Amino acid sequence: MSLTVAELLQALPQVDEETTAPPNGLTVPNGLAAPQEPSLRPVPVGRWQRMTLLGSLQAKIAAAYLFYWIRGWFKSADENSRLLAETHWRTAVHVLNSMGYLRGAVMKAGQTLANFPDIAPREFVETLEKLHFDAPPMHWSLLREMVHNELGDDPENLFAEFDPTAFAAASLGQVHLARLKTGEVVAVKIQYPAIAQSIANDFRNLVLFLLPNRLGRDWLNLKDQFDDFRLRLEQETDYDLEARNLEKARALFRDEEGIIVPRVYRQYSTARVLTMDLLEGVHMDEYLARNPSQAERNEVGIKMVRASYRLMYAGRMLYNDYHPGNFLFLDDGRLGLIDFGYIMPLDDELWELFRMIDRPLTTGRADDRLAALKTWSGLGEESSDQLRLYSEFGEWQWRARAEGGVFDFGDEADFRRGVDIFTQMLRKRYSRGHRTTLTITRGNFGWRSLLYRLGARFDIRPLAEAEIAATGWDRSSYARPGGKA
Amino acid sequence: MRVTAEAKESTRRAILDAAQTLFRTAGFEATTTRDVVKAAGIATGTLFNYFSTKEAIVIALVVESQALKPLRTADARPASLEEALFSLVAAELRQLKPHRTYLMPILESTLSPLAEARGDDSGQALRSDHLARVVELARQYELEAALTPVALQIYWTLYLGVLAFWTNDRSPKQVETLALLDQSLSMFANWLGSHEPD
Repeated sequence: MSLTVAELLQALPQVDEETTAPPNGLTVPNGLAAPQEPSLRPVPVGRWQRMTLLGSLQAKIAAAYLFYWIRGWFKSADENSRLLAETHWRTAVHVLNSMGYLRGAVMKAGQTLANFPDIAPREFVETLEKLHFDAPPMHWSLLREMVHNELGDDPENLFAEFDPTAFAAASLGQVHLARLKTGEVVAVKIQYPAIAQSIANDFRNLVLFLLPNRLGRDWLNLKDQFDDFRLRLEQETDYDLEARNLEKARALFRDEEGIIVPRVYRQYSTARVLTMDLLEGVHMDEYLARNPSQAERNEVGIKMVRASYRLMYAGRMLYNDYHPGNFLFLDDGRLGLIDFGYIMPLDDELWELFRMIDRPLTTGRADDRLAALKTWSGLGEESSDQLRLYSEFGEWQWRARAEGGVFDFGDEADFRRGVDIFTQMLRKRYSRGHRTTLTITRGNFGWRSLLYRLGARFDIRPLAEAEIAATGWDRSSYARPGGKA
Repeated sequence: MRVTAEAKESTRRAILDAAQTLFRTAGFEATTTRDVVKAAGIATGTLFNYFSTKEAIVIALVVESQALKPLRTADARPASLEEALFSLVAAELRQLKPHRTYLMPILESTLSPLAEARGDDSGQALRSDHLARVVELARQYELEAALTPVALQIYWTLYLGVLAFWTNDRSPKQVETLALLDQSLSMFANWLGSHEPD
């Protein structure tokens, strides 16, 4: 599973200047020099130093590529893959190389990109996913100091055992295996020092690099993406918040449902250290590589959907992080939800909106959908094109639930249709309208992407109906017991 | 009347304790030697028999904190000189923590590279003690030949820079200092490695 960037670089074919030329004007000189072991280098924190790094060759390629890639969302996926299949792989590796240094923001971007399997080149996504498990660069002395700083003592004193070698790289820190003095085996997630600050710097740097493009029509769109991203990162650097989310979520599931959220050990957790039960299982790629039967895939899909609805309707928490690495497939068949760093709480305003869209979600009627979308977005008839796209996306997104019956989430043509509508929305900045729309839409899309990759087939409607009961909403005017409206 | 060594030590202790409390509560700048004298319950002139300046009191506190417990030696040898230096400085920071907020004045006056030029050698012992540890670590990693006087001066400047940042670090639990220290030592170790004489 593990893969070092140095290995990838060694495996690279000779870089061909012509095919590597990035599309936005940055030139790629000859003689790309690869650092020997980038994954062992620490995170640069000062903006100046990161700027210098971004100014380095690989990072220029990375920035150019990422920019190109984001622009690529606005073309049809087909055209993209046809024209660039050759370049993707090489460039992806060079992007990864930069990630060794700038991993804070860029790795997080990578995770987000992995949510779009049909837009992102497949090789790119797969490589990014592997990188998540690369050995991370915080050395033991720094790590020990972080733990001491946060928990008041050295890890070797606090825990019965503490593995100095990280077993996973979180995007903003690294995860170590440990055993509590009371015997429990735990995962201890430790944040990189000052990572929040360094991410903020990354964004400023990226914006500076992309500045020549700010007159282009995609600029504002790009800025939206960055703003959304930054908001998310602010949340993700607060492990205290994550601990609260984990505890709330954990209480929502019963053992027999086969969905598990790890327990948090508060006495070993702070805003920058999070200690929780270790769940042992495999990620989606490895699970799929075992060729699970259709019935098994369906079962997993059902669990994912049930978990998502439970969190939403009973927990008033919107799980937005449908990155494959956040789901663990345990050997005993349970599904583990392990990352609660990015949860949108459904406050009263959002709760009312969710209550309102329940009607079109349930009836599937176009007029219900349009009425709900108008209220949600605050748009009137003068924005008919925008509303049309909204409605089209809503229809795509909600059809499985509104119609009921077994739905094939692995249907490529259907999924591609969603991709197309979604990219159109991004291009026209139509995902704006409400402060949460971009995030929610992206979350929904990530969710569908996972079900698509899983190739699950099941009836989602009864799951929704069962979970929505927790809301206590009066749905008598549009929902019919046990069937379609 | 002869003052016994015991009585001397007791007076010295009283001054240090009183000063430490005052520096912490009122701050270094706001505390006068008169305040220290009063809090320590000694005669006005006595203080200067022990410490010539307020800064000298801080130096004594720092030296004392370093002497309290020997710097921990890592149970396993760090993978690199960079990590070993990190471990050294991080351990010092732990010991210096009680004095963090009033360390700045001595960084400026007695530990700064300018102090030597002014003929102030009160920080000399601290400096040479720390640098001796650095040289010893470099020896363990067979890099001592690269530690020329210039290299040591560069190291010392970085070290003081990290300390200066730390005294004023407002990030939660001074976490930004750890990042700065890590980066500074990485830069120094890389530079040292590339400047090692043949």
